[in-house]
Amino acid sequence: MQLPQFEYIRPKSLAEGLAALAEHGDKIAIMSGGSDLLLNMKFRLEGPAYLLSLNGLSELQQLEKLDDGSLRVGAACTLTHLAEHTIIKECYPALRAAIFVVGSRHVRNMGTIGGNICLETRCWYTNQSKIWRDTREGCFKTDAEQCHVIKSAPKCHALNSTDSGPILMALDASVVLASHTGERIVPMREFYQNDGVEHTVLKPGEVLTAVVLPPAKGRSVFRKLSQREGLDFATGTFAAAVIGSNEQPESVSLVLGSVAPEPRVMPQAEKILLEGGLTDEAIDAAADVARRALLEVTNLFTPTFYKKRLIKVLVKDALLELRDQRVRG
Amino acid sequence: MAKQLIALTVNGDPYEVAVSPHQTLLEVMRDSLNLTGTKRGCTAGSCGVCTVNGEQGEVILSCLALAVEWDGRSVTTVEGVEEGNELHPIQKSFLEHGAVQCGFCTPGLIMSAKALLDVNTSPSETDINEAMAGVICRCTGHIKVKKAIKEAASVLREREVNHGES
Ligand SMILES: Cc1cc2nc3c(=O)[nH]c(=O)nc-3n(C[C@H](O)[C@H](O)[C@H](O)COP(=O)(O)OP(=O)(O)OC[C@H]3O[C@@H](n4cnc5c(N)ncnc54)[C@H](O)[C@@H]3O)c2cc1C
Ligand code: FES
Ligand code: FES
Repeated sequence: MQLPQFEYIRPKSLAEGLAALAEHGDKIAIMSGGSDLLLNMKFRLEGPAYLLSLNGLSELQQLEKLDDGSLRVGAACTLTHLAEHTIIKECYPALRAAIFVVGSRHVRNMGTIGGNICLETRCWYTNQSKIWRDTREGCFKTDAEQCHVIKSAPKCHALNSTDSGPILMALDASVVLASHTGERIVPMREFYQNDGVEHTVLKPGEVLTAVVLPPAKGRSVFRKLSQREGLDFATGTFAAAVIGSNEQPESVSLVLGSVAPEPRVMPQAEKILLEGGLTDEAIDAAADVARRALLEVTNLFTPTFYKKRLIKVLVKDALLELRDQRVRG
Repeated sequence: MAKQLIALTVNGDPYEVAVSPHQTLLEVMRDSLNLTGTKRGCTAGSCGVCTVNGEQGEVILSCLALAVEWDGRSVTTVEGVEEGNELHPIQKSFLEHGAVQCGFCTPGLIMSAKALLDVNTSPSETDINEAMAGVICRCTGHIKVKKAIKEAASVLREREVNHGES
């Protein structure tokens, strides 16, 4: 497969890049590592007239400890760089685990954290060559008003497979979105939307410039289940962060990934653990509620009933592991 | 779209080549520079046969890299692995262990193994799996590949020891 033609823009500064974005509106695409975007262009799912490369911008590749102890991670840091970074390894091991299972080392050397967070949603129909797609009717992502994943649905149910999204949400991270008019900070828990076509709150003209991780506190865990151990998108992921003791947790954050167009926060399950502590019964009940709370599940590559069962096991297993982790300050 | 002249070093040899923005590093190496050692497989990031090593020796998928982004940089391909007129220990070991069958994935496997052994000559089973997971071989079943890598690692370790003594 070859790429469609486009004009290549390599800004010398972020400001220059933001100006180019403002100028070209919806005709321009942002490329970081390109491991997702270039593929979608080869599939003819995207055909931008201009391509803005973030690769020369050292200002997006920094890791910086802020005064309040938070860690600011530049959006263009590669996944390998982060997975091997001492601060990430020591202070955010669950994030490290999530990054380390993305694709393969090859993909992680090219892919960036910003690109992973913004990863385009996927489904069995759109993520095929154009020739293959042309043998069937289109969908919301192409040229028709239907979803092949959930028939008769009024919107796109393509799956959000980002491996870093759920744990960043559980850790209460935020993202910095910049445009030529200024910056806004959006909590990761508010970054995604339940629509496969418009799956993030990013507006045209905006770039995700950094992720801000609050000071490491409490315990966290990340689990990914996929058909193959390497080089595979998840069948389901689960991220949890708990602050406080097993008996009396102060805060509990549970997020499921790869089940819908957005990672799913599970408030009812969180409440059960907050009130009951991390007992066998509460963990069991939380896992059950997590499963039942999933109404529509994107049945991509895995039947819905299987995915729901799997989620229960995934949640329970991960929470039992988290309970045994040493309690940190 | 306007072509751009880029300076690309492949296996130590400098090239100047005119590329369009939409051309991948793989296409430019194979079609413009006639360096066909690097294979064109899925062109979608999933098979790894297009693997080359970047400036730090790291593995890169050349089918998902834009050639324009490699202006002023250097890569190593399977054509640049031999040492003088001799095959590299990894290449020798692949031959000895029957880790090459149809050979299509071999350049990708060799470059991935090299990226690993360049920084770690005592890789664990997990290290090898992790380094090689990005390349898919349809013929060998990967068992012989792993044996070959372990054997090459021991040759390279010995070399380090000898080097250390001299
Ligand atoms: C074989 C293979 C296996 C893979 N396996 C996995 C996997 O297991 N898990 C997983 O999560 N991903 C996987 N991926 C997808 C992808 O490679 C990774 O998610 C990677 O981290 C994407 O980062 P990137 O920098 O290459 O993104 P890009 O391709 O550069 O960008 C991805 C999307 O985000 C947008 N974007 C990028 N950066 C910004 C920014 N700073 N601001 C605003 N928008 C931005 C782009 O416009 C594009 O739509 C896989 C890909 C391949 C080819
Ligand atoms: S050709 Fe590049 S990964 Fe298959
Ligand atoms: S030797 Fe045939 S694909 Fe690997």
